[in-house]
Amino acid sequence: MSATLQELRLADPRLSRFDPMRRIICFDDFDRGYCGWTQLVGNYEHTLDSMTASYATHTHPQLATVSHWDAGTHGGVDGTYALKIATRPKRGIRSTAIKRLTFRQAGPIRLEFYFTFKPEATEPRLSETDVRSVGFLYDLQTGYEQNGLRVMPHIRFLNAQDGHHIQRWQYKDETTPLRQIGTEGKTVTHDHLAPFGWKDVPGGEQKLCYNEIPTKINWHYMRFDFDLAAMRMIEMQCNDRRYDLAGIPSIVMPAMRNLWCMLNLVFFAEADADKRVFLYVDSVCLSGEF
Amino acid sequence: MLRESHTAIVARNERWEGEAATEPFEAGWASEAIFFLRALAAEGPTGEGRAHVQISPDGIRWVDEGTSTTVPARTEGIAVLRVAHFGSWLRLRVSLPAGARLTPIVTLSLKA
Repeated sequence: MSATLQELRLADPRLSRFDPMRRIICFDDFDRGYCGWTQLVGNYEHTLDSMTASYATHTHPQLATVSHWDAGTHGGVDGTYALKIATRPKRGIRSTAIKRLTFRQAGPIRLEFYFTFKPEATEPRLSETDVRSVGFLYDLQTGYEQNGLRVMPHIRFLNAQDGHHIQRWQYKDETTPLRQIGTEGKTVTHDHLAPFGWKDVPGGEQKLCYNEIPTKINWHYMRFDFDLAAMRMIEMQCNDRRYDLAGIPSIVMPAMRNLWCMLNLVFFAEADADKRVFLYVDSVCLSGEF
Repeated sequence: MLRESHTAIVARNERWEGEAATEPFEAGWASEAIFFLRALAAEGPTGEGRAHVQISPDGIRWVDEGTSTTVPARTEGIAVLRVAHFGSWLRLRVSLPAGARLTPIVTLSLKA
């Protein structure tokens, strides 16, 4: 990247908090709207009853002002709105938001975003163990001329489990068996976010700022580098810590006939109490080295 | 700048009996909203039920906004509830009589 391009980006207040690769694929500032982020609905055929139950309970993402009963509007990183992923109030449940793209260059890509998370402030106590995890994943498939793989790198910050404050980055390389949907032989499903198979990223403990009451939030920086040519993770960074992901596997399965060059981005949150939990994201920058 | 517009599915294929409500939906950016309550299936006297728009100061505590209508009496019926000046949060509350069972899809159409 040229020094001039670097200087231009550092002088642009929308981009100066990011370190994008050469080409910005999309920049989602939620003060401009939803920017293509939507509800992840489960697959079905003929009837909605054929949808996997854990997908059926996903909620619709919201443009949130991060407002609370005691202090009013918190706002986003640099404006009023953030993308909010909210679960239902049930322990172990999850919710997601998705953006669906395809890629044109199988090379390195970089996902950067700012995020924070909190449980719904239904109690006047810190409630720091009510959010089980927040995380992100890609749902990828190689191009038709590549090696015929669907690849799903998953990363989560395991904040708490069973009331214990854990604060550790994890990855997942297992999913459920494929299940045929309907009768036409065109649709299958699997629950890649099913709550099993999470493994620790080596050295993945990280103490994040979570403040002192349930309505005070602080934004965290996240960067995730992935190579679409090798279909391998490279590295990630959260705030001041970097993690080498070169040896970290993804969920891998044979390619599906209808998903070539798929580049889906997903954020998710999981609850560890019978309480809604919220993942907020503001903003997202996806870039590629091409 | 075009006016922001968004369609959110705030309930889908749930089974509602007695008292039910959609999950809280934050939409302070919008100045007008329409709830479409469509019956994917209606069993029993669903048409004797009422649907009420609710608003909230914090997304946790809810009050009736004042807009209400009857619940669809039959499968594929659609009830419409239009609101404006609703603050930051919206949800739909439904009250069904004994013996009524509704399988809804609730579409929230929002516009800045």
